[in-house]
Order: sequence, then structure tokens, then C-alpha cells
Amino acid sequence: MFKKVFVLFLVMALVVSSLVGCGNKTDTGAASQEQKQEATEKTQDESKTPAKDNKDIVIAVADTFISMDPHDTNDTLSYSAQKTMMQGLVGFDKEMNVIPVLAESYEANEDATEFTFKLRKGIKFHDGTDFNAQAVKVNIDRLANPENKLKRHSLFAIVDHTEVIDDYTVKVVLKEPFGAMINTFAHPAAMMHSPKALEEFGKEVSRNPVGTGPFVFKEWISGTYLKVVKNENYWKPDYPKVDSITFKPVKENGSRIAMLQTKEADFIYPVPAEQIEAINGKDGVIVETKPSIIVRYLAMNCNKKPFNDVRVRKAINYAINKEAFAKVVYGGYMEKMDSIIAPNTQFYSKQENTYDFNLEKAKELMKEAGYENGFETEIWSNNSSGTIKGMEFLQQQLAQIGIKANLVPMESGTRLERIWTVENPEDAELQMYYGGWSPSTGDADWGIRPLFAGESFPPNSYNTAYYNNEEANKWIKKGIATADNEERREAYEKVQEIIWNDAPWAFLGVNLTMGGRQEYLEGVYLLPDGSLSVEDAEIK
Amino acid sequence: MSQRTVREVAKPNENEKMEDIRTPFSEFWRKFKKQKTAIVAALFICLFFITAIIGPYIVPYDVAEPDYDHILEGPSSKHWFGTDAYGRDIFSRVIVGARISLAVGLSSVLVGAILGSILGLISGYYGGWIDNVIMRIADVLFAFPGIILAIGIIAILGPGLYNVVFAVAIFSTPMFARIVRGSTLAIKETVYVEAAKSIGTKDKRIMFKHILPGTFSGIIVYFTMRIGTSILTASSLSFLGMGAQPPTPEWGAMLSSGRDYLGVASHITFFPGMAIFVTVLAFNLLGDGLRDALDPKIDN
Repeated sequence: MFKKVFVLFLVMALVVSSLVGCGNKTDTGAASQEQKQEATEKTQDESKTPAKDNKDIVIAVADTFISMDPHDTNDTLSYSAQKTMMQGLVGFDKEMNVIPVLAESYEANEDATEFTFKLRKGIKFHDGTDFNAQAVKVNIDRLANPENKLKRHSLFAIVDHTEVIDDYTVKVVLKEPFGAMINTFAHPAAMMHSPKALEEFGKEVSRNPVGTGPFVFKEWISGTYLKVVKNENYWKPDYPKVDSITFKPVKENGSRIAMLQTKEADFIYPVPAEQIEAINGKDGVIVETKPSIIVRYLAMNCNKKPFNDVRVRKAINYAINKEAFAKVVYGGYMEKMDSIIAPNTQFYSKQENTYDFNLEKAKELMKEAGYENGFETEIWSNNSSGTIKGMEFLQQQLAQIGIKANLVPMESGTRLERIWTVENPEDAELQMYYGGWSPSTGDADWGIRPLFAGESFPPNSYNTAYYNNEEANKWIKKGIATADNEERREAYEKVQEIIWNDAPWAFLGVNLTMGGRQEYLEGVYLLPDGSLSVEDAEIK
Repeated sequence: MSQRTVREVAKPNENEKMEDIRTPFSEFWRKFKKQKTAIVAALFICLFFITAIIGPYIVPYDVAEPDYDHILEGPSSKHWFGTDAYGRDIFSRVIVGARISLAVGLSSVLVGAILGSILGLISGYYGGWIDNVIMRIADVLFAFPGIILAIGIIAILGPGLYNVVFAVAIFSTPMFARIVRGSTLAIKETVYVEAAKSIGTKDKRIMFKHILPGTFSGIIVYFTMRIGTSILTASSLSFLGMGAQPPTPEWGAMLSSGRDYLGVASHITFFPGMAIFVTVLAFNLLGDGLRDALDPKIDN
């Protein structure tokens, strides 16, 4: 009897979850014609044998794409799609090392103010325009011009001007020294539009991307799918090895998993941690997890009582069981954090005295600081179910040393208003903020300066800990004042040590990237910054 | 001997007399006890009330106490309903959650019933423009799907259990108002009300002493059914993150936090889901039974 009821319940749950999935697919109200088109595509897919005998890949992702203009994008997901079509002068390899792409080689002067790129010859944009120094100048000028109001202008605001030396040599001159500039050029924001497309479409390039990449833009119906097809004239011989890629946004975790299991999708990401064991290695599905550069933290407002006392901040670090955090919130798919940035970030240096879970020490520190009986506080964050799980865990942990934390999950608009519109740090109501950070340039600077520099208080940037230490500020400045890697390394070693010991955050852990693929699909992988690389995609 | 005979003859007569005296309650009881499902539902609801009252004192585990060494465990003799993502005992949480669900369901419907009855009485008794205004407002509230209205109210007031009570109360009100108004219109025309009026009884007294008791049967039936719906709505709102906030062991909130684990640890959602299902069903069945028992037109 019980078994029957249970089975019935499961069936009901399945029906409900599939309905939810359907709702998401059509929620942006795509025209019926397009839906029909999609439907015919699907039936074509279904009529084939389960083993892949075409070279059309479907990738299911967790959210909708926002823009196809890399200069005006600030979400990693949109970059993943853009990277199939567009490329920059330099890029990242699997370990976030900078590698030449459209540039053959590059060099910087000693002051880190001038960067010269030698370009690869014989490359054409999808629309037939030649890729040359002039095209690079048009793109960098577009990014550097504040009047264009591009989301990624901030990365290139430092550019003074760009010079065309000859057809295949270009020099970028900065207003002031910035040692991490090469990493900025490797950031997907610096990918190149065809100058002709920029002229023709203006702002509308965000829906008409024309680049030099392995795939050519075909069609994008917001909220339904985005399709790119093989670039027959791609400059790397024998690439790409698949005919097309279709990205489909599927928000509901369960539906995304089901798509992978039924082979409706060839690759999905992210795979929710709690499902990995259930699907990995079954029915030809492989889940790959790799360390990312995304760090999880609980920021404490160092400007305000009681967090202005370093003993309280350390006590909180000791009171949180990081292993349990990884296990409960990320299903064990998380690595230990032993510096303020993740190990895959450039210039990372491991810290010796780690904040291992130690309740006795935490209580002692609280007593010393005069908070033997704890205090009441608030944790702010966003309202996704995963985040709430994390907040609830932190609430339980803080209760062990008498801290009563009230959870305030906020939707993004409210969060923006309550954190990033506060002009005067003294007015900030923020006490604790639970968040994550991915330094997408892969460089220590972008993992530290926006979060810990005195100049980065909200609303300017993301220093939600309101941390301001003169010594640290000095070294942060030094780190970007030169292009000499040894000098930069030294500066960042100092910075990491100072901030680690000041503990403006409770350091929780380093996320893993989690992607699920079919056995026969190779060469699709997630970079440590959470973006997707498909150039090497191949069906075997 | 002869005396005994007399007594024996007299006895049936006495019994007949007893049966002749049909108080409203005995009449109700006579009909109600024939409804087996409603009796079972009523017994379950009694159990539910007892659980709600003594539950927190008898549960085997602390509902907020995490145990990270035993997370996501299935049902066992140690944890009857298994454990959730933090290793908390689901059985204990479901038991303690009964109190929250009952409190929210009962209080919101009570507020809605009181408000609705007063408005319905006024509207039905006075008629005219007052009736028009009240009933048109009720129509407007009816036009909203209940849960959407509740979400709207929560969006204005902010999330939290008290606001859920308020939201559910607001959208329970118009139905009560309509039921009471209907009965009032009928009772208003009866002779005893007219008699009361003719001897100069005040309006307030007529409304509450003479008319209101006559509307009770309708209110009771709807009240019972409404509790079930309210528990469901409150759980839905908590599921959407607008009601009870973690770590409160509210059933809807438990469902919500368990839905990420549906594929791997379905017991996290199964048991609170069952609790909601069975409770709502019980209230609805009881309501059905009460309606049959209180309806003078049905006589079995």
C-alpha cells in the first residue's frame, strides 16, 4: 500500500516538474511559428537513433542570455555563447593562463603603460572584412570611449589611445601603469567585433554578432534558443569539428538533468551538486568537476560594531565548519580556501595559519572581545534556493558562539537599492553579506582590488566588507603599477597576507565548475571562471 | 407482576417522548454519526489538534539542531521520516510544523470569518447602498485568484507568517460576507425578526441576537473547509519563500528546501507533502460531512 502511494506521488512529482520545465521554455512568449520550427527540429532529432549520428550539439544552460555584444555584457553566461563566435587578441587556456589568439605575440614596456600586439595574418571576419590593426583600433576605441556607455568600459577606461603601427601591428597606450592589462585583454570583454558590423548595426550588434570565431551566428530567440553554425572559413585548419551548436536556457535544475539523461542535450551546466552522484557514469553521462576561481565568502562590515573588532571577525572564521559547509551546501563539491583568492588565480599565495574549525578558540576570542553572550545581526544575500541554503547553514554555525543571525534574502532590485545606492559608508545598514566572486580576468588584481581596496566601497565597487587598510591599499596599488611579474608577485603576496590576517570575510571555500556531458562529446569544457569553451568540440 | 407489566408498557412510551424532543444538536448528531468518512476525518483532526498542542514537548529531536554527520538519510528506526540537508530529523519537524499550520490556518480563517460575518450582516440587514458598496468590493476581491491576491498583499507587507495570516484572512472575508448576507436576507423576513422589530428592539441586537445565530450552520461548514484551503495557501506562500522563513519547520518551507533533492532524497519532500495533503483532505471531508448533517433538506 505504502509503496503504491509512494510511486503515485513520484509520478505526480514528475508530471509537475516537467510542467514547470515547459513553462520556462515558453515563458518569453516566442511566436508560435518559431515554436513550430523548434518542434520540427525536435522531431527530426527524435527520429534518429539514440547514438549521435549528426554533428549538431545542444547545450542546456541555467539562464537566458542577455546580450551578444561582449563590450556591453557583464554575465559569464552570455560570454559563453559569444565566445563561440568572437575572439580577442589574447585569451585563456584551461588553467586561466593567457595565450595568444588573434595576436601572434605581444609585449609590454617596463612601466606597464604601452602594450604592443603583433597580429595574425589572413584572418577574416564572418562578413568578409579583413582582421587587421585598424579593426583592433575601432574595437578598443569603442571600449575606451565613455560616451558609448558600455558595461565593460570600466575595464578599458584606463586606455589613453590606440595606435596603428602598420597593418598587423597595434599599440595600446595607457593613461597610467597597469600591470594586469594583458589579463584584461584576455577577458572576453575585449573580443573583437567586425568594424563593418559595428558601423552597420550600431547598438544592435548586441543581437547581430559578427566576429572571427569558429561559429557563425544563425538565430537567437530570447528565452528559447540561440543557434550558431560552423564557420567554413575558420582560420584554424580543420576546426570546428561540429556543424552547429544550439544553446537552450533551462532554469529548472530537474528539467536540465532530464534533458541530459534523455540525450535531448549533449552538454548541460551547471549540474546541481546534489544530483551528480545520481547521474554520473550512468546511461553514457559523464559529469566533470574542476576547481574554479570562484570564491564563497561571508563579508563583515568592518566599519561597524561589533565587526570592527578583528577578534570578532576571527572568531566567526573559527566558528564556521568549512568542511560541513562544503558537504551540506555544495554536496561536497567545494575546495578549501587558504587565501583571499582561489589557487587558480594568478599570483595566489597559500596562507599558513588557516582558520580551521575550532569552537573553543572562537568562544575565547568572543569573550576577549567582550561578546561572551554573542549578539544579534543580519545576513544579506540573494534569494535563490542555493543561496538560502548557504545562509541557513551559516545561521546554524553562528548560533554556536551565541550570534543570532537573521536571514534577509533579497531579490536583485532590493539588493541593489540597499547596498549599492548607499553613498556614505556610515549610513550602510549592511552587517553581513553572503556572496561569491569570480575574477574573470584571472588576475589577482581583479580578485582583490574590487573587494578589498579602500576605494572600492559600494556604490563604486564590491567592497561589501567596507575594509580599508592603508598598508593593503599601498600594496594593491604597487601590484598594478608594473608589468614585471616578480614585482607583482611580491606585492600580491603581501596583500594576501595582510588581508587574510585581518579577516574581513569569513572565508568559506572555492567552488568547483560542474558540467555534464554525453560520453561521445569531447572538447567542451568549463574554464575556471565558469565560462564555457566549445572550440574543440568533437563527436566521437 | 401487574406493576411490572405497566412499566414495560410505559417504557417504550418514554422512549418515544425522548425521541420527540429533537434539539438542533441531537438532530445534527443523529445525522452526522452516519457519515463514516467525516467521523474518521474528525478523529484525525482531533489528533492533529492534540499534536499541535503537545507536539513540541514530545518530539525526539530538537527541530533546529543540525547533525552534519547524518545528512539526507532515508527513513530508519532512528529517524522515522529520515533527515534533511542539515541532518535535522524530519519527523520532529513535521510534528512541530503541525502547530504552525494549525495556528496559521485557524487564525486566518477566524479573522476572515469574523470580518466577513459582520460585513455580511450589515450588508444583508441594511441593504441599499451599503449592501451595494460591500458586495461590489467583495466582487472585486473575488475576481482575483486567491493566491495572486495573497502574493500581492505579501509583496506590499513583506514576507513573514503574520503577513500570511493577514493575506489569507483578507481573501477569506468576501466568501463569508456573501454566505452571511444570503442567510440574513432570508431571516430578515421571518416573523420573529419582524416581531422583534415591532417591539422596538435595536438594530444591533436584532442582527447579533436574532439573525446571526441563524447563519451559523452555513458559517461552520464553510469555516471547516476554509481551514484546509488556508493551510494549503499558507504552505504555498512559504514554498514560494513569502511565508515562514528558515529555519521555521513550516511544511511548505520544508517542501521548498527539499525540492532540490527530489531525485536523490525524495523523503524530504514526501513527508511534509503528505502532512499537508492528509490535513487538507481531513478538513474538506469533515466540512462535507458537516454540510450534509446541517442541511435540513437532506434527511437520511
